[in-house]
Amino acid sequence: MTAMIPEGFGRRGPGNPEGVPRSDGPQGGAPIIEVEGLRKGFRTRGGPVEAVAGIDFRVAAGEFVGYAGPNGAGKSTTVKMMSGILVPSSGRVLVDGLVPSRERRRLARRIGVVFGQRSQLWWDLPLRESFELVGHLYRIPAADRQRRLARLDEALGLGKLLQTPVRSLSLGQRMRAELAAAVLPAPRVLFLDEPTIGLDVEAKAAVRDFLRELNRVEGTTVILTTHDLDDITRLCSRLMIIDRGRLIYDGTVEELRSAYGTTRVLVVDLVEDEPVEVSGATVARVEGRRRWLEFARDEVSAAELVARVLAGHEVADLTLEEPDIEDIVRRIYRGERLP
Amino acid sequence: MADGLLVYWRLASASVRAHMRRPVFLAVRTVAAGLIVAVEVAGVVLLLDRFGTIGGWRAPEVMLLFGLAFASQGLALTFGNRLEADNLSLLVRKGTFDQVLTRPVSPLGWLVASYVDARFLGRLLAGLGAVAWAADRAGVAWTPGRVGLAAMAVVCAASVIFAVLLLAAAFTFVTVQGTEAVNVLVYGGTYLASYPMQIYGSALRLVFVWVVPVALAIYVPALVLLGRQGPPGLPAWLAWLTVPVSAGFLALGGLAWRSGVRHYVGAGS
Repeated sequence: MTAMIPEGFGRRGPGNPEGVPRSDGPQGGAPIIEVEGLRKGFRTRGGPVEAVAGIDFRVAAGEFVGYAGPNGAGKSTTVKMMSGILVPSSGRVLVDGLVPSRERRRLARRIGVVFGQRSQLWWDLPLRESFELVGHLYRIPAADRQRRLARLDEALGLGKLLQTPVRSLSLGQRMRAELAAAVLPAPRVLFLDEPTIGLDVEAKAAVRDFLRELNRVEGTTVILTTHDLDDITRLCSRLMIIDRGRLIYDGTVEELRSAYGTTRVLVVDLVEDEPVEVSGATVARVEGRRRWLEFARDEVSAAELVARVLAGHEVADLTLEEPDIEDIVRRIYRGERLP
Repeated sequence: MADGLLVYWRLASASVRAHMRRPVFLAVRTVAAGLIVAVEVAGVVLLLDRFGTIGGWRAPEVMLLFGLAFASQGLALTFGNRLEADNLSLLVRKGTFDQVLTRPVSPLGWLVASYVDARFLGRLLAGLGAVAWAADRAGVAWTPGRVGLAAMAVVCAASVIFAVLLLAAAFTFVTVQGTEAVNVLVYGGTYLASYPMQIYGSALRLVFVWVVPVALAIYVPALVLLGRQGPPGLPAWLAWLTVPVSAGFLALGGLAWRSGVRHYVGAGS
């Protein structure tokens, strides 16, 4: 299912009352989020814990940022400080020019927040009523709400669900509804926490298509917190990784891959079961006639290595495995530093 | 302002509509709530029947006191039951309160409106019924002034109970755990205020008149209604203080709530 959002899709809203098209792209745009020396400590039974231990970053309007990190790294705490739920212990947060903890209600009109595991909708009521209530909460005129809802319906296929009580929706249907409710007020910034958790392949694709189009067409800045690195590689122009309260990576997915992913693997299916020895590569795994040859990107090229293998062995098939982003991130979590 | 209030009205009516969609659940809850009210009223009636007078007050006079206390508790809990420690702690742990904070509304207004609980109206009505029944037998002739005084007593005492709920909520935000101690004040305080103050020790009296002024709001206006003199230290003219003292206490609760929200720690990730 491809969710195409028509051009000009609901550009008007509380976050953008004049309906001005947003041209400020990721580069050079004014920052819509500024975080400086941000810290948040909690008192726990085991003593004080610093969940966020001094982080700095800026996000330009229109960026699609993935925010990853192991459990308890401080992801949610950061997002909660940016959305006005938690008050920082120290440091500065500015979202669309507002201090979230001091101007929480004004900020709430300009941001959308979706927590994948909890519902923002009215559980026992037909879905239609949730949209009406959101319309009232964000003071969206009824005609505007209808118009925008019609477009969201096109993108997310909600029409048949409107009369269904939210509690009877499937997880995939509900997540589409949550997204629609969150973007109904045309937020400038959308915070998403695990929006694809528990979804099947098709529902995941629908959610991702929608988010990509929302970001592209409306220029909505998206901060996506997720464990699903597929979400990040498919959607995000930028990835931030947090661990133990500190940002340990901030850059593009490609940069991460080339910085950490120095090891590539050539998988070779031999015709004869024989030992393989090739300079520049080490045999990482053996399974029947299949060999996994690890080699360093900067020492030997794949073409050169293939030539070396072919020179000494009869080969039935070859495949090249690029470093898996998931692997890389797992290694970073484990504490491996940049080579 | 009116526009702002309309949002809360819509939230409240959405919550009522949600309940209407589950008629069996609603019916069971209503019947259960009615039974609890009946048992509590019967308890007081039996007690009065057995002893006749309590602290020198005749049965209908005590009944009047009980009715005022019961009604104010019902009024406070109709709007504030969700603030009660265990209920609020659940909303915090489930992350519901996080979400409320991302809405462009007052979180207190949201909680009050979204969780208006009509079950407690039974308490309010039963309490008012008891007041009407008892006043007749205690020889209180209703004048507009006395009706106003009784209404003031109920509203003021309800404000005090509501303020206690706000104070407790502030603690819940910081500790995430519900604090049982609050129930002692909410239920225990109104229970205490159902009986004449002179039967209690001076420490207890001091607490519920001046620290958590629920007895001030019920007992002292009742003295005036019944044309009685209070015990030493609790003269009837204190009734004049009921409104400012309860309003002050409510303001204190409001400040505590605000501070609680600022120190809200959420429930992990």
